[in-house]
Amino acid sequence: MAESTAIQLKRRQGLVAVVLRRLRGEVPFYLLLLFVSFLLLFPFYWGFITSLKFEKEIFDFTGNLLWVKNPSLANYQTLFKTPRFFIWLRNTMLVSTVTTVLSVIVSIMAGYSIARLKFRGVTAASVIVFVTYLAPKGLLFVPLAQILNDWSLLGGLPALMITYPTFLIPFCTWLLSGYFSNVPVEPEECAMIDGASRIGAIIRVTLPMAWPGILTAAIFSFTLSWNELLYSLAFVRGEENRLLTNGVMSAFARSDIYFWGPLMAASTLASVPVALLYFLFMDRFVSGITAGATKG
Amino acid sequence: MTVTPVAPHEPEPVVYARARSPGIRWATLFHRDESLGYILLAPGFIILALLMAYPFVYAVFLSFTSKRIGGPATFVGWENYAKLASTDLYWKTIWNSIYYTVVALVFKFVGGLGLAVMLNRPFVGQRLAKALLLLPWIIPTVFSTLIWWWLFDPAFSVINEVLVVKWKLLSKPIPFLTDGNTAMASLIMVNVWRGVPFFGISFLAAMQAVPDELLEAARVDGATPWRTFWSITFPLIVPVVGVVALISTIGTLGDFDLPFLLTRGGPNDATTMFAVTAYTLSLSSGLIGLGAAVSMTMFPLLAILVVVSLLQVRQRQGVS
Repeated sequence: MAESTAIQLKRRQGLVAVVLRRLRGEVPFYLLLLFVSFLLLFPFYWGFITSLKFEKEIFDFTGNLLWVKNPSLANYQTLFKTPRFFIWLRNTMLVSTVTTVLSVIVSIMAGYSIARLKFRGVTAASVIVFVTYLAPKGLLFVPLAQILNDWSLLGGLPALMITYPTFLIPFCTWLLSGYFSNVPVEPEECAMIDGASRIGAIIRVTLPMAWPGILTAAIFSFTLSWNELLYSLAFVRGEENRLLTNGVMSAFARSDIYFWGPLMAASTLASVPVALLYFLFMDRFVSGITAGATKG
Repeated sequence: MTVTPVAPHEPEPVVYARARSPGIRWATLFHRDESLGYILLAPGFIILALLMAYPFVYAVFLSFTSKRIGGPATFVGWENYAKLASTDLYWKTIWNSIYYTVVALVFKFVGGLGLAVMLNRPFVGQRLAKALLLLPWIIPTVFSTLIWWWLFDPAFSVINEVLVVKWKLLSKPIPFLTDGNTAMASLIMVNVWRGVPFFGISFLAAMQAVPDELLEAARVDGATPWRTFWSITFPLIVPVVGVVALISTIGTLGDFDLPFLLTRGGPNDATTMFAVTAYTLSLSSGLIGLGAAVSMTMFPLLAILVVVSLLQVRQRQGVS
């Protein structure tokens, strides 16, 4: 009895030693991980703590740089009290939502068509989608501004609602066609044998199965719209029509006076929802990206 | 051999059938691949034709005109290009764009490969680490660039504070955005910071798809990890690596957000690039024809890259 507990104890000590030895082997790895994480994440931390500082402390580098002496939410208050802040927020939400819904619906149709249907020109269609996906925004904004002007759309939010889909549709179609080609065909065929129409079968059987892909496309679209800068600078005029991005900058980065506190508060606020979405759906994003990268 | 055309399912009164119940024809249209394919593609392709193909043709046209904001578009032939070719701005734009793209690509590629190798092993907190390290890529560029702007502040940069005052590694602060050479280096640094996580996570996903048996076999045969990586893992992830690199190259060449937000192309045009020059010429100065010509200069470069990407993707499709 005593002997067996002694053996157990010895074993346990042995186990602890093994764990310790293994952990010691891991130390360089964790140090490296820590260092890389610091390089990649420090800017966010610095932006975040700056947003909690009073003006005086922002420019005061004495003491511990990684800490806030008098944390306060004053910068966030300043931000919310900015005239038109909520108008800009509403504009951004409106444009992002409209363009996301429009682009995702159109892309579901095109993506399904390219992935599942056999017709003349389907290969050409998938090539066109890929090529338009690659076209950078810097290539077309000059003629687009002119065309919007010809159509009397330049200056207002509709200009963005019709131009954002030009980069969202190729992207979502590409992503969704990759997704649809991995959804099994049989359930849809069964539904049709049971008397459903083809469209009915697609909507009631295939789309629910492709739900994760559709959600990924929607979240990507929403964040891409939320993130947009060039078109919203080039195609929209007037304070009332600004989006959050250029609105916040026009309010707090005037000529050479920068109000870092509110600017950092805005950066933090705008980043949190996006970061949360990605944390929740990260695995899907990664597989979505690589499925896209390998499927075309 | 006489053929008696008997077609019980397709009787002659098609017109009659259509007249009586139009639903039948619609149902066929929405049922057969040949027709449904085009119907489903139509909305997306109409939008792309109106807002991408048409603007593209229009851009080519504008680049041969002396169009200004509010003015007429008079055809001037190659005059815009000739005018541009005689300016420093144009050559700086081309050189800066290529330099920025190539140098940033090299760093993103090496950094991404390093990051993927580092994360490609089981460890405590792997999921969290993957999520956190992807942050620079997922946070909206405009807002992360604002933070870098603050980090690069000429008078109150925390980086300079630490390097010069706290650690005394440098004798004078780095002029991040105010000197031509350092400004370009700073832009590249932020681009790399943003791109490395994307490269890393894509490479990692590709590495995790490499069959374990192959790696095990190499280990049994006594291959070093270094050798295993370059002889087995790397060749297998090349397709993904290539596509990621090409997509990123195209995006970087047409980048607007970073150079516009951080430097507006300055100081002294040291960091101006295609999109920024086109923006200042056409929208700030109103010289639409010239701006379009700057954008169009990017096109041959892009076309080559796009064709290479297409070939690579198609080859990959053929394999899998």
